[in-house]
Parts: sequence; structure tokens; C-alpha cells
Amino acid sequence: MPETFPVATPIWCPGCGDFGVLAALKKALAELRIPPKDTIIVGGIGCSGHIHNDIQVYGYHSLHGRLLTTATAVKLANPRLTVIAAGGDGDGYAIGGNHFLHALRRNPSIVYLVMNNGTYGLTKGQPSPTAQIGFEGTKEIPFEPVLMALSLRSSTFVARGFSGNQTQLVRLIKEAIEHESQGKGFAFLDVLSPCVTYNDTYAEWRKAVVDLNADPDFDNTNRSKSFQHILETIVSGRIPTGLLYRGEGASFERNVLLPGSEPMALQDISPEKNLESYKKLLRKFA
Amino acid sequence: MTTTLERETRPIQPKRVNEIRVMVGGQGGDGTLTVISLLARCLKLIGLHTYDARNVLSRIRGGHADGVLRGSVNRVLCSGDALDALVAFDEEAVEVGSPLLEADGVVIFDSSRGPLKKQLPPRVQVYQSKLSDLAGTQLKKTLLKNTISFAILSRALGLKQELVERVVKERYQRKGGEVLEGNMAALQIGFRLADEIGVAAHYSMPEGAENDSLQVVGDEAIGIGFIVGGGRFYAGYPITPASEVLDYLSVNLPKFGGAAVQAEDEISAINMAIGAAVAGVRSMTATSGPGQDLMTEGLGQAAEAEIPVVIVDVQRSGPSTGMPTKHEQSDLNHVVFAGHGDFPRLVIAPADVTDCFYLTVDALNLAEKYQMPVFILIDQALAQNSQSVPPFDLSKVRVERGKLLSQTELDSLPVYKRYEFSSDGVSRRTIPGMSGGFSQITGNEHNEWGMVSVNTENREKMMRKRMLKAELAKTEMPRGRFYGSPDAKIGFVSFGSNVGPILEAMDILATKNVPTKFLLVRSLHPLHEDELVQFLDSVDTAFVVECNLSGQLAGLIRREVGFANKIFGINRFDGHSFRPSEIAQRVLEELGPKTGGNSRNA
Ligand SMILES: Cc1ncc(C[n+]2csc(CCOP(=O)(O)OP(=O)(O)O)c2C)c(N)n1
Ligand code: SF4
Ligand SMILES: [Mg+2]
Repeated sequence: MPETFPVATPIWCPGCGDFGVLAALKKALAELRIPPKDTIIVGGIGCSGHIHNDIQVYGYHSLHGRLLTTATAVKLANPRLTVIAAGGDGDGYAIGGNHFLHALRRNPSIVYLVMNNGTYGLTKGQPSPTAQIGFEGTKEIPFEPVLMALSLRSSTFVARGFSGNQTQLVRLIKEAIEHESQGKGFAFLDVLSPCVTYNDTYAEWRKAVVDLNADPDFDNTNRSKSFQHILETIVSGRIPTGLLYRGEGASFERNVLLPGSEPMALQDISPEKNLESYKKLLRKFA
Repeated sequence: MTTTLERETRPIQPKRVNEIRVMVGGQGGDGTLTVISLLARCLKLIGLHTYDARNVLSRIRGGHADGVLRGSVNRVLCSGDALDALVAFDEEAVEVGSPLLEADGVVIFDSSRGPLKKQLPPRVQVYQSKLSDLAGTQLKKTLLKNTISFAILSRALGLKQELVERVVKERYQRKGGEVLEGNMAALQIGFRLADEIGVAAHYSMPEGAENDSLQVVGDEAIGIGFIVGGGRFYAGYPITPASEVLDYLSVNLPKFGGAAVQAEDEISAINMAIGAAVAGVRSMTATSGPGQDLMTEGLGQAAEAEIPVVIVDVQRSGPSTGMPTKHEQSDLNHVVFAGHGDFPRLVIAPADVTDCFYLTVDALNLAEKYQMPVFILIDQALAQNSQSVPPFDLSKVRVERGKLLSQTELDSLPVYKRYEFSSDGVSRRTIPGMSGGFSQITGNEHNEWGMVSVNTENREKMMRKRMLKAELAKTEMPRGRFYGSPDAKIGFVSFGSNVGPILEAMDILATKNVPTKFLLVRSLHPLHEDELVQFLDSVDTAFVVECNLSGQLAGLIRREVGFANKIFGINRFDGHSFRPSEIAQRVLEELGPKTGGNSRNA
């Protein structure tokens, strides 16, 4: 087997939450025995968007905010791949917000990991859409990605983890990857991943997080109840985490692709292969 | 029957013609264009070639809309200069069409809203009748006025009734039931009406056997070329005049295990095309100016990360929303220059529907062999007007995937680096799923492994590597086409659908003893400087014909090869394509009383 790229050492500041996300992701992939050759990580642009350099799988570094559209097409091109999109909150909720909405609507079987730190780490600490009120003078009410995800009837997997809780995070990533691999649709996982340099929220978040899956009253199969529960938790000043919603719906690739067809990426596209059907295309215009 | 008829009785002898030009005009959404497509079918069945052009507004209903059909024993690439017959459903259509009418032309007018007011030249034959009213009262469907008018028109054109009936029947067979019956009944009403009002056969066309031509618009030809060239993934956001590509591929790609995705915007569309390409699929997106603007960042990404994608830009009138349905050729600068940073790209400019097919296949091959974005630049007229073309020759289609490795090839390598330096700048490519092919693909500057790098030496080498590919790709880019007399001292240079009007302008000029020649440029970036230099060297005056105000092609030529003092612009930017006579006229004016006289820089 040829020698391939040397896995990079993460470029993050010591203590950055993204280290925890990387560790959990590696652990989840290993425990699920996902073949690295069949895995592609699509990174965003930001500190977080470097994560694909640090694991020996296929990596694609997208444009800022465009990781979801790219990853969606990778999945359509070859549904046999495990497709993981991973980026920041600025990437996904600001510049890429429209694509987030449409990924939720389409439900492609990809994992979407957002390393949410409430700031633009790479551009040195401006407030992101999820910045807490008061951060760098922000007066805007923070964007709540899990509520948005829940509010689309087509969403099938909505979760939130915390980089400071490895056990829970590994479990959530594994569940997300399984959702993806089984073709069940869009596995959205927002991960609280503090930026220790510009917005160090570790202590605050450690106090505020609450694992809703530990609450026997929480039903993560009921969209409206889950929504209400999460909203109330947020309003009370806590941060809901866990697998917040799991539902069922046709995946994008199932809706779009011809059932049973060979993945596009693997098809023989030589003209001889399809000559008769190509002739038929021409006949339409004769 | 409430028909009123004003008939001028004059014996009419059918005129033998090799060509017939008909306009059908009315309000948008009232079905005027179906008359054009029915007639196009009839003409094909008697062996004629057709060209049809549509002039519509950017709304579904209302506003003047017309279609022009030209049928000819020769292949034609534009609507020409004049009209033989005009079917007008309102006064406005007469205003629009009548100035083009031949002195002995025919007008069929729907007088439901009152008799024709416009005074027409004495030899023009007008047949008027309350077509809409008739369709409404007799068939309970005013839209069937179209089919009634078609029957009358077919009489005036001297077409056989069986042929006309066959075509209408075939056309509505699939819909069956009421639709079919309604249209067949409308035809009979039309024929009876024609008898009553004494519609004569004004023309007689040579009737041969059905020809084997395809009647295709440019957008569809690109769609066919894409599938046949192995394209399987398409993403696009609806926009006139590129939507037909999306429409065609949405219907047809799934049959081949592919997919056409309607993206949420053009930013998404190009990034989807990129994603599918990264996974190993031949992919494409198509748009028009506003969407092209949004795709610009993705263009640079495809170039920097060395991802093969094909981008179709169907030009319309800009800037901004401009005149969305109208013709223009003003994105040339954009596709050649857009994007921050220095990067390679290829820009191919098909000039006719045949080109649209073959050059799309070429674009796919070039994109994959040189691992870079390739533009196909066409214009509204080429995209949406239908041409009769010889059947596309599938045996000429090759799929060349360049340095895309097979698993066996990959297995034999000691080291695999996605961006390995090589003599031609092209590196071997793997796709996810291959074992031993891990790669990092990125739009950040990177080293050979694809790891982000700001090393100065590496940067220079990577920049040169990417640019080298465009230079080598140039040797495979489509060459220009030459027309006319080699010794002519008056030349035309142009691109895209202008080929039609220019060729006919050359014929007009030849009759006035002004011999001309013409270089049709089909690669806009990189330009084939050699063919331009040779051509421009050999003429005294070169008219650069283009549908934009600032002379973008002329500017490009001046920038790349010079010859500023020989270049004159002939420009049109009112939303319509050129007419042959207008180009000939402009040349004659420019040359002054003596050929080769008066020189003025554009
Ligand atoms: C189109 C575009 N605009 C702006 C930037 C600059 N930029 C790079 S990263 C970034 C924000 C990153 O924030 P986030 O996505 O939250 O990632 P983090 O660094 O916090 O992990 C911005 C604005 C860019 N690369 N591209
Ligand atoms: S700036 Fe913040 S987000 Fe970026 S690496 Fe440092 S700690 Fe992490
Ligand atoms: Mg961030």
C-alpha cells in the first residue's frame, strides 16, 4: 500500500475544545470500525475546519460555509462512503446558514459536527451567531441551532454534546455515525467546544450543561415535546445536551437516486456501455 | 358563425421558394409558440431545415411574445432579415412583425378585438377573422385559436392538409381525450374557415422526404452532451436562459443512475458540483450572469484544489437582473477574468447547437485531464433557439479521464501524493473509497500531500504547476473556424451565435462586391493567439461583432494580440441578436463609399 499524507499535529491553542472533539471522533470511528478508506471528512473554514488534517481518512477542505452542500453531493455521488462534515459555528450558522436549513430539509445521510464556541476563533474573536449576550458587546439573542433543527419537520437526528464530557460525546458521535451509515438521514450534532483564547466558556458551560437523556421525563422521539423541553431548559439558563430528537424520514439519497443503482462515482461511463440508451436520447429530437 | 371577413380578391399564384419565414405573435402565455413548433415539425417532415427563435418576456402571462420560424432547404443559423407570413393575435404583434414583412407577405389576424387598424403596404395580403371568438364559442376554449390559425397558415404556406393533420395528431396523441379531440376539431374549423375566406396558397416549397436532422436548442444539446460524455451529477438553481439544462437533466439523468439536484442557490450548486467531483463523478452546473457572480468563489476553489468541474454560463442581458430573458454576450470578461488570485481556467465558446453537444463532451474531458474548472460560454439565442442539426455522432464521443488512478495502478505506487509535482503539472488523482489513496484536497495553498502550507518555495512551485496545466490544455482547446475568401481584406471576428447573422451578412456583402472573411473564435481562454495573429495580419480591417456595449471580445483581442488600429467594433446591446442586413449595413457605412476607406477605432 502506498505511503500517504502524514497526519498533521493539530494547530489549535493548548486547551482548545476542538481537541476533545477530535479525540472523541477518532474514538468513535475506531470503535465502530468504520474503514478509513471509506470515510471522508469535509472540513469548514475556521480553527475547527482543520480537523480533517488530523485523521488518516480522506479529507476535503471546503470553502467557508459550504461544507454541507459539498458533503451532500459527496454522499449522492457515493452513498457507500461515511461522510462527516465538521466545521465551526460561524461557518455553519452565519455564512453557511442557508445550507444548514436546506440540509435539514433534504435529510442527506451525513454527519454534521459543529464545533460551537460562540466566536470566530480563526479571525480572532468576533462574536458568532451563537455568542452569548454581552460577548464583545453583542446584544443579539443567540441563535439556537438545536431548536432550528427541531423546527424542521424533516430533521431526523438532533443532538448536542460538550467537548468537556468525553463519554457523552463519544456516544453521541457514534450514534450520529450509525444514523448516517444506516442511511437514515442527516445526523446533526452541535458540540460545545470552547475557544479558550477568545471566549473561554469552559467553567460557565460545565455548570450550565444538563444531559436531557438522564431525565426520565424527556422523550426524544416526540418533536414538539422535545422542542418545548429544550426551550424551557434554555430559558431557565441551562444548556440542554444529549440526543435531543430522533425521528424517521426518507433520506435525500433515497429520494434522489434510482433504487439499486451503482453509485455514480463507481459507474462505468464509457460511451460503449450505454450506447443504446444514448441513441434513445437522440431519437427524442428526431 | 360570428366570423367577419374582409377579403381582397386578387388571383394569387403560389410563389416557389427555398425558404419560408413565419412569425407568430401575441400575448405571453396564449400558446403562440405552439404554432411555431407544429410548423417546425411539418417542415422537417417535408425535408426542410429549421431555425426557430423565441422572443418572450420574463413573466408567464401577458406582454408581447413572439416566435419566428425559418424553414429552408439549407441549414440556417439565424432568423434572417425578413418575414413571409405573420400570424398576429393582436395589434401589437402586427406592429412588431409588419416592418419585417416582405412586400407581398401574408398576415393572418385575429380580429376578435376589432378589425386590424394598422395600414399595411398594398401588396400585403391580410386574412382576418375572429379566431379567439370562434374558438370560444365553438370549442369552449379560446386557446384553440392557435390551432385554428395554424390550419389557415398551413393553407397560405401551401402545406398539405394530411401532413398538418398528422402533425397535430402526433403532437396531442399522448394527451389524448379532450385535448386531442379539441385540437383536431380546431384544425377542421380552421380549414373550413380558410375555404370560406378564400385563403390562397401563397407559397410552394420543395417537398422531399423527412430529413434525419435533430431539432434541438443549445441548452438541451449541452444536456445531451453531458450525459453522453459521462456526466452523472448536475446541480443548478433555476435561471433564465439556463433552466432548460436543469429541466433536461432532471428528467434524463436519473435514467442513467445520475442525479440533477435543484440547489438552494448558485453557491450551493457549484459546491455540490465540486463535492460530486471530489467523490469521482463527472459533474456540471449551469447558470446565467447573476448566478455566475455567486459562483465565483467556487470557481477559484475548483482551480486551487484542482477539481474538475464544468460550468455553463448562458449569457443574458445584464448587469444585475438586467433584462432576464434577453440576449446579450456580456459575460465574456467575467468568465475569463473573474475570481481573486491567479488561477487557471478554460473557456470554451460553442457557436451552434452541434458545437454545444461536442464541446460539452470536450469540456468534460478537459476538466478531468487537466483537473480544473472549464467554462462553456453560450448566449441566450444559442441556448433557447432551436436549430436543425445533423444527428450527433456517438461514435465520435470519447471519455478521457486523465490521471484518475485505478486501484491496481494505485497499488503499484510506493507513495501517493494528491498534488505531486509532475512534468505536465497534472497529479494523479484517487477517489474516496480506494485503499491507499488518502488525500487532502484543499483550497488553501498546500504542499504535495495536500497539507496547508505557506512555504515560499512550495508556493511558487504550486502556482506554476497549476498555471502550466492551462498552457498544455490549450493545445487541446477547440480551434476557431474560418469562412470566406482567403484574400479578402475585410474580416469579421466573433463568437457564439453571431455566426449565423455574420455568414449571411457575408453573402449580402458579396453581392455588393465586398469580399469578406470571418474567424469564428471558439476558445476564449486561453486564446489561440496564432490563429488571431494570422487572421488579423491578413486583413486591413477587422470587424469584431459582439452583443455588448463595451466590446469585450475586441478588448480581449487587443490585450492578447494587439492590432488595435485594425479593429472596429460592431456592437448591439438592445436585448436582441444581430440581423444579417444590419451587419452588412454597418460594414458598408464604416468602409465609406470606397472599400477599405474610412477607418475609425471602436
Ligand atoms: C468568504 C469568506 N469570508 C470570510 C472568511 C474569513 N474567515 C475565516 S474563518 C472565519 C470564521 C471562523 O469561525 P468559525 O466558523 O466559528 O470557526 P472557528 O474558528 O471558531 O472554529 C472567517 C470569517 C473566509 N475565509 N471566507
Ligand atoms: S483561537 Fe480559539 S478556537 Fe481557535 S484554536 Fe485557539 S482556542 Fe481553539
Ligand atoms: Mg467558532
